[in-house]
Amino acid sequence: MSEMIAHLQLGFGVALSLQNIALAFAGCLVGTLIGVLPGVGPIATIAMLLPITFGLDPVGALIMLAGIYYGAQYGGSTTAILVNIPGEATAVVTTLDGHQMAKQGRAGVALGTAALGSFFAGCVATLIIAALGAPLTKLALLFGPAEYFSLMVMGLCFAVVLARGSILKAFCMIMLGLLLSTIGTDLETGQERMTFGFPPLSDGIDFAVLAMGVFGFAEVLRNLENPETRDVVRAKIGRLLPDWNDIKQSFLPVVRGTAIGGILGILPGNGAVLGPFASYTVEKKIAKDPSRFGRGAIEGVAGPESANNAGAQTAFIPLLTLGIPPNAVMALMVGAMTIHGIIPGPQVMTKNPELFWGMIASMWIGNLMLLIINLPLVGVWVKLLQVPYRLMFPAILIFCCIGIYSVNNQPVDVAFTALFGLFGYILIKLGFEPAPMLLGFVLGKLMEEKLRQALIISRGSFMTFIERPISGGLLAVAVIILIIALLPSISKKRDEVFTE
Amino acid sequence: MSLNTIERAQGLRVRSQQDLAAGLFMILLAVVALFLASDLPMGSLRQIGPGMLPKAFAVICAGLGVLLALSSLRYNGEKLSGWSWRGVIFVLGGAVVFGLTIRGFDLGPIKVPQLGLVVSGPLVVLISGLAADDRKIKELVIFALVMTTFCALLFKYALGLPIPLAPWLLGI
Repeated sequence: MSEMIAHLQLGFGVALSLQNIALAFAGCLVGTLIGVLPGVGPIATIAMLLPITFGLDPVGALIMLAGIYYGAQYGGSTTAILVNIPGEATAVVTTLDGHQMAKQGRAGVALGTAALGSFFAGCVATLIIAALGAPLTKLALLFGPAEYFSLMVMGLCFAVVLARGSILKAFCMIMLGLLLSTIGTDLETGQERMTFGFPPLSDGIDFAVLAMGVFGFAEVLRNLENPETRDVVRAKIGRLLPDWNDIKQSFLPVVRGTAIGGILGILPGNGAVLGPFASYTVEKKIAKDPSRFGRGAIEGVAGPESANNAGAQTAFIPLLTLGIPPNAVMALMVGAMTIHGIIPGPQVMTKNPELFWGMIASMWIGNLMLLIINLPLVGVWVKLLQVPYRLMFPAILIFCCIGIYSVNNQPVDVAFTALFGLFGYILIKLGFEPAPMLLGFVLGKLMEEKLRQALIISRGSFMTFIERPISGGLLAVAVIILIIALLPSISKKRDEVFTE
Repeated sequence: MSLNTIERAQGLRVRSQQDLAAGLFMILLAVVALFLASDLPMGSLRQIGPGMLPKAFAVICAGLGVLLALSSLRYNGEKLSGWSWRGVIFVLGGAVVFGLTIRGFDLGPIKVPQLGLVVSGPLVVLISGLAADDRKIKELVIFALVMTTFCALLFKYALGLPIPLAPWLLGI
């Protein structure tokens, strides 16, 4: 306990420097700004804004990126409530009751509840990360290649199970991501693999190129095709602070949402997406009058929004302690960290404690800032929503182009991104959800490395993965969740959760 | 009798164009990968060679593709909806033009001079902007100039990124 306090002290010492406060603020502001725009989720936002952090020191860069991340996440909720368009998957549930509240002239209360719930969840999640960081890192240091490999297999299985839509298609995307990750120079022999003899491919596909193509360009193409009707709320936003009655109604949902979201967020796979759905289902189940849900029930905003934010933050735990990104956004953070010369993993905490704890402390500060940025400035965000899409996407595009060009100063990267944009568009058209592909792609290289190491140690025996207890246990969990997901009766229930 | 068995009894036909196309697409990608990886040595389990994992992943992809294609004969699903090629051409084309012009390009007989952000910026906004159904040319031109100025100020001056602005005119 005292260790944790000492760690947090160190962290706040770093995060409270004038420069880092300013960076956290800038990150939150810019993240919210772009997150509010419908059709630009956190992944595209971070990829697009990555170059902004190039000139900074690693701590400052990560603090700013983390700010962009939860700023974008939060901006997505604002759009969900005011325009009825989920900025990203985690805000889908918020549209259900949040937009109804807005139509009834209670937009301000919905926004305020979401903000306060998120703030509470953020505070708790920060404490969870601080408490779990040290022990998990110690555990991670016990992991050999076999355990790491099995852990990643389990993560990918979770990603399959938790993905939206068909399990078979999610499987396809993961395998495709793994296949893409093998492009480039072989780690051990230095042989070029599947590069068409094309020099820019010899380092493999750049992560930012793939992410920006599939989530930036392809999303623009998708949005152009379905011109969304923007149901911007014309009614007054009304007072922002919830009254005593609202607080009484939403306090327990916030606590439950925080717990659900926090736990699911740690899970590898896409826990942050499942959290809000699970929280909504729970609130509806235990409500005295479930028919209120979908008609502007405040619990339907408070619970899922807290779950969303708690999950978004605890998703940092596997990344920071094990070096394994649990979802596509965290995968992008890996890319960002490597650009700044930090290899994520258990050694980060021992080698760069000020980075590790500074980033965690900055999350709390960031959450506080989001409260300040969002509530009084909500009018500005509403104005932003009135920018027509015909101007928004060229702006997105020029940002993406400059961003991609700046990552390596390679113009050919921009052309590659366009190619992946087409690829992503084809995937969307064929009904594939691209997020698992990104996760497979990022984990692929690491998995190959660990697989090879483990097999060299075991002299080519696959039994090593089953015989070692931790590794075997992780694989067993993977098999069990796959079986559960594939049992038809349960997979039917899963569909219900997602269609609700 | 469950719904699925009833459907199966009605004979084989394509019930989901989208899934069939998706399955074939996966198979196609797997075949390309297998072809590209064909001359990479497999190695042994003790010492995995560069070719083993690409080939293994490709085979699994192909297998999943076959499963997907087969399932499209059994379960109802979505049709393939229309493709908007205008979006693809203008949006992706705009990005490609940006890549070609920002620092110049030299591939055999094709030579593009280094034009810099002052030219590439407006080009990408203008070209991509044409993809919108409700485009307004005048508004787009003004917007292109404003966005380019903003990006030049932000990325070049505020953030100090090495982006060529107009080497042919200003030398920066």
